[in-house]
Amino acid sequence: MNTLLSAGLILLLGFVGARLLKYARLPSVTAFLIVGILIGPHLLNIVTEEIFAASDFFSNLVLGVIAFSLGENFRFEEIKKGMKQVLWISLTAALTTWLLVSAAIILYLIMMKYPIYPAIVLGAAASATAPAATVLVIREYRASGLFTEILLKVVAIDDAWCLMLAALAIAFANAMRAEVFQVAIVFAGIGEIFGALILGASFGYLFSFLKRFVKTSEEFIVYIFGLLLLNVGFSITIHVSVLLSSMMMGVMVINLARENYKFFDVLRTVDAPLYLIFFILAGAHLDFNILYKMGIVGVIYIIFRVIGKVYGAKYGAQFSKAPKPVADWIGLSLTPQAGVALGIGLVAKTTFPDFGNYIFTIIAATTVVFELVGPLLTKYSLIKVGEIASTE
Amino acid sequence: MRRIHFPAVTTYLLVGILIGPRILDLIPGRIMMLSDPVSNFVLGIIAFSLGASFSLENIRESGRSVFWISALEACGAWIAVTTVMIIYAVLRHTPIHPSFVLGAAAAATAPAATVMVIREYRARGPVTDMLLRVVAIDDAWCLILSAFGIMFASAIASGALNLSIIVNSIVHVLFSIVLGGAMGAGLHYFSRLIRDNEELLIVTHGFILLLVGSSVILHLSPLLTCMASGVVIANISKRSTLYFESLRKLDTALFLGFFILVGANLEISLIPQVGFIGILYIISRVIGKFAGVALGARISRADPRIGKYLAWGLVPQAGVALGVALSAKALYPAYGTMIFTTITATTVVYELIGPLSTKYGLTKAGEIVSVG
Repeated sequence: MNTLLSAGLILLLGFVGARLLKYARLPSVTAFLIVGILIGPHLLNIVTEEIFAASDFFSNLVLGVIAFSLGENFRFEEIKKGMKQVLWISLTAALTTWLLVSAAIILYLIMMKYPIYPAIVLGAAASATAPAATVLVIREYRASGLFTEILLKVVAIDDAWCLMLAALAIAFANAMRAEVFQVAIVFAGIGEIFGALILGASFGYLFSFLKRFVKTSEEFIVYIFGLLLLNVGFSITIHVSVLLSSMMMGVMVINLARENYKFFDVLRTVDAPLYLIFFILAGAHLDFNILYKMGIVGVIYIIFRVIGKVYGAKYGAQFSKAPKPVADWIGLSLTPQAGVALGIGLVAKTTFPDFGNYIFTIIAATTVVFELVGPLLTKYSLIKVGEIASTE
Repeated sequence: MRRIHFPAVTTYLLVGILIGPRILDLIPGRIMMLSDPVSNFVLGIIAFSLGASFSLENIRESGRSVFWISALEACGAWIAVTTVMIIYAVLRHTPIHPSFVLGAAAAATAPAATVMVIREYRARGPVTDMLLRVVAIDDAWCLILSAFGIMFASAIASGALNLSIIVNSIVHVLFSIVLGGAMGAGLHYFSRLIRDNEELLIVTHGFILLLVGSSVILHLSPLLTCMASGVVIANISKRSTLYFESLRKLDTALFLGFFILVGANLEISLIPQVGFIGILYIISRVIGKFAGVALGARISRADPRIGKYLAWGLVPQAGVALGVALSAKALYPAYGTMIFTTITATTVVYELIGPLSTKYGLTKAGEIVSVG
């Protein structure tokens, strides 16, 4: 098995898998994950080491592409429309989830006479959502309408809240553990967000400035990927969020010139294989053995995360006077959980020598569950609000 | 770079040399390691697309010319280079057998560079069409000729004529064509599952990767297998252009990456080592190509412009020649290094001047309308 053959099989099996699972009415995202699990190292082992080693590179690139495309939804002239709802929904969904998951796990940990600080970090991880899975479900079923628009914006800015919450949570947890509150952690968290926004905005400006040299649509693709990769690479080098900087780049690009929408259109014609590979690799990385280690805390996490999202989003929507279907269903569509939460888990792993590993395991295990179930719930909510016309 | 009328290929190569490990060293090892799979993939895409120009209609129309021109330009270069090298070896009192291998390597051309130049300048016309077809089947001749070359060389070195090398290479060519053709037919049947452009993009790229990957495993020529599937698809599918269009969406980015990596891998430090023998190789190869094309065009009564200008497009030399050099190096430890160095060094020269020559020929033939 060489790299080329393996890559070819990934693409073709992903395609066939998505087609077969369509009969079971599963979204392609789920199909790709399942194919990934099948051909991953635990079962068929078709993915070569070389491709596996490239997973990191790939997932950052794809998240960059997704976040960049999400930026297209934030045109200044349209931003007033529904922006109040978006801010409220995303904020209350993230905060409520954090509070609920943290509180529930704290209760359990007190009962078990464990230290309670891991609960605060777990709550912050629970507040994260997964833009990639959400966007793919929306695209696959060609969902459109007010609900879809709000959902796309919510998953886009969600990450900013989540990063702030995570920084706060880690600072609190550290304070409980070491009994000193390190303001520096909070500032570092806020700095990360602003750093990402400034970097993304600069690249967006550069993008719009240099585009005069780009002529054909083939050159567009070279140009978009080149600048996106630069932006992603820089974000990683200076340790800021890839998602936020790429999104900011997209926001800049769409707002600097009206005709810039064509860049997003060109990107959409070629990104399908990237998503397929991304989710197949994500599936290949899913470790089912970790599910056994989830324990009661994992179960509590899952239950209260769903409750937190559903009711948190509902209150935010009602408060900002969003239409009733939005209030009823948007929380459920926010259930996918993926890389952002795992990122928080990784930080916890390095910050807390004693319980860091435990925190990471819980997040990784619940991510397995939410990655597989989340897209189904997103699809279900979209059907319920009537924004998926036909489900084939 | 375009302002000074360099083709993009040359620019990419120069950029590759510049950011490669020898100068700025901007490419991390992880990316350099991808050179091999990327180049096989890109050559696969190019060969598959070249297959598109062999619909039965086209073959009936110009098959005769394609056959004669490609066979004679390949043999012409082989004979010219081999003869010159033998004379040189006799004069220098060195063994003559490396000459046969050098000649065989000279038969090869470089489809990627040629296709890129044609595309960049939107060249069109009889010379362009013929050039695309000739570079496509060129590789089959080169593979067979290099088998002959290696066989003659071993026969002279060891005194025994080993026919199995020839049989092997013909089997190799046939197998490549059969595998490629069969997979192409497979793709055609598989394609009824495809519903939209996104899926088409996934399937065509997945298919080429699969085909190239299996060719590498089976030690077949990825160029020939992909070309054979392209030919089969072009002839059995009514919507065959869809596949080729789908590949075009991404291939500019891939080609750019490919040529930058080729540039980064070019051993420019070898240029001073081209030496007298390298200069002889370069000149005699070009003479052989020109003579072969002129003769082939006359025999098959092709458009006179083809006889006059097509050979300029056959000057580029790249991966196929290096492949011949690599197998020679493995076969004859004693002279292999000399053969390898000569071919690598001349490839550096040809890579850089080849695209310019292609552009010149097509401009002269009046098939590049506006430059730049």
